[in-house]
Amino acid sequence: MTGQGPARRRRASRLHPVRIVVLTLFCLLLSGTAGAAAYFFPVVVAGVGQTGQTVVVPPSRSPGAKGTPPPSAAPGAPFTVLLLGSDDDGKNKSPLTQSMILVRVEPSTKHVTMLSIPRDLWVPLSTGGSAKIDAAYAYGGPAAAIATVERNFHVHIDEYAWVGLKGLIKLIDRLGGVDLLVTNPVLDDVYPNDIDGGFLYDYKRVAVLPGAQHLDGSRALQYVRSRHNDVNGDFGRSARQQQVLLAIKAKASTLNAADLPDIVDALKGNFKTSMGLDRVRSLLGVATAFDLANVKQIVLYVPAFTSYGQISGQSVILPHWTQILAVTKANFP
Amino acid sequence: MILRRIAAILFLPVMLAFGSGVYLYLGTLKSKLVQERPVSPAVTKPRFVLPGTMFVVQQGRLFKMNAGSFTEIGPGGDWSQPALTPDHTKLIAVLRAGWSSDLYLLNLDGHVLKRLTKNDSRYIDSNHWAFYPRVSPDGANVVYSFDSPKNNGVDLAVWSMPLNGAQWQAHRWTDPYWYTGGDVSPIPLAGGGLLFVRHSIDSSTAVHSRIYYQSRALAIANPLTAEADDCSQAALSPDGTQIAMVCSRGKQTTALEVAPFNGSVIGALRVLREGGLYASPAWSPDGKALAYFAPTGLTGHFQLWYLPLAVAVNPSATASPMASPSRGGAASSIVAPTPTPAPVPVQVTEGVDLSATSPPVWY
Repeated sequence: MTGQGPARRRRASRLHPVRIVVLTLFCLLLSGTAGAAAYFFPVVVAGVGQTGQTVVVPPSRSPGAKGTPPPSAAPGAPFTVLLLGSDDDGKNKSPLTQSMILVRVEPSTKHVTMLSIPRDLWVPLSTGGSAKIDAAYAYGGPAAAIATVERNFHVHIDEYAWVGLKGLIKLIDRLGGVDLLVTNPVLDDVYPNDIDGGFLYDYKRVAVLPGAQHLDGSRALQYVRSRHNDVNGDFGRSARQQQVLLAIKAKASTLNAADLPDIVDALKGNFKTSMGLDRVRSLLGVATAFDLANVKQIVLYVPAFTSYGQISGQSVILPHWTQILAVTKANFP
Repeated sequence: MILRRIAAILFLPVMLAFGSGVYLYLGTLKSKLVQERPVSPAVTKPRFVLPGTMFVVQQGRLFKMNAGSFTEIGPGGDWSQPALTPDHTKLIAVLRAGWSSDLYLLNLDGHVLKRLTKNDSRYIDSNHWAFYPRVSPDGANVVYSFDSPKNNGVDLAVWSMPLNGAQWQAHRWTDPYWYTGGDVSPIPLAGGGLLFVRHSIDSSTAVHSRIYYQSRALAIANPLTAEADDCSQAALSPDGTQIAMVCSRGKQTTALEVAPFNGSVIGALRVLREGGLYASPAWSPDGKALAYFAPTGLTGHFQLWYLPLAVAVNPSATASPMASPSRGGAASSIVAPTPTPAPVPVQVTEGVDLSATSPPVWY
């Protein structure tokens, strides 16, 4: 008996085959997890740095506005996102928003409503005084942009997303371009030449020809940014921006989780949102289910909703609030 | 104990390989949308061999397709919108360079024979665009869209210049609506008239495109299609009796349609394909088929399609849908019911990214 003790200990000290298998599987799981973590590391970094941005909307001083800060929409409930687009080219310490689009998403009915806000709309800003609405973001960041839109349009905004122009170009290129029907030639002799370096206030000529076509990021940006030769001015540009957004949505509906690192890389430094990764992910899922027929597009054209004017030597767009608020009340409850 | 350590050390590369494998495997799960990139037509074979010779454009490069293979022609640069001379011996194409574009005469192998226009300038406002060149049936003139005069905005008008002449001899044919982008896609007719596409805006601020006929320079142009039909990209059949076109009717999709034409009057439209993004139709040399571009796959790059026309289109154009030649007047064209099963299109190219704003040249 005494002679068997050390032998048993030796046997016990050897790894049992089951333990070997378990240990091997654990090690493989560990290394696999490390591989996956490395793959999604850019997404995690972006998730921490660019999503879930905290926005503190200042208290409302407008009698018509709803109370802020807003409660976050419950999962599956309709929600409203304020999309902001800026020329993050360094012209201004804080960029103006060249594009402001209110998007109402109703997951249950799969309906989307988009309302473009003219950048030259003259409104009281949440930060004080009156100015073109594109200055709200420059004066107070997303909080001021949200508060200004909420107070003037009497809507409740759940989330915001901001994208810079370079981010838009890269995003569209990563998606392989977008397909569009260009209704008429978009020609511009004073198109900003501020993306590729050089003098920020330089300009160039662009020409996007009509017809169904495939646009890469740079050409798509020219399409959505040009406004000087459009008979509808900024309103025509707003309609084109909605058109490109829908084209991007059509492409995004085919993305999957494995594409996220590429998309995040494209938007690096050019994208901020209050949405958490969960909502971004659910939005991607929602995008696959939407039909273009269920998308309502609203542009606040002159003369029905707005009129042209001059204030302090600036060309501005003056709101017809009665008509505008009727539309926002009906579409952004 | 030593054996165990050796085993553990030997297992480390296995772990490393497995982790890397997971990383690489996740990369393979990317959607085709992110992975797919178009290839040059020159490295592809058409899935369907078309009769005759065709010129197409991809990303600024000219390609000749003949006997089931593509060959790149022409010097480097941003080339587009090739057009053939009536004797089928030369091409005219557009070369974009920065802030302007010019027309060049090339032989069928892409060698530049002559620069027809000079639209570049060191002063940005003095630059011009020239697009959509077409040679008149007698080979004497080239008509094209040119952004002059500039009325604070930039709108294209149709101009004409002698093919063997100089740009200073060019004269304007059409008077576009300002701030709409103007008049595009001119087609000179054998009778001396002109087909072109004019853009306009209605009282609800919607932009429209219509195909017009104009008998002579700066005469009043007659719309051949209705404003609500939003028709454009007209292509005249080789015998001049039919027009192929795309019409969007205010939607974000287009329909491929044909109509009989008698030289100045168009007949009822017949829808061949609809609900897609059909672009730039071109007639086969025998007039019995069409080629056009439409996107395929996730990436949506435009491919070349071939559509045999099983039933001949009624060649008689007896009534114009436009009663009055007044500009912008209301019109309502008749869309004829399709009497026979729709022809089935055949995809010709795959994996390329053809320019949908440069109609194929087919002879």
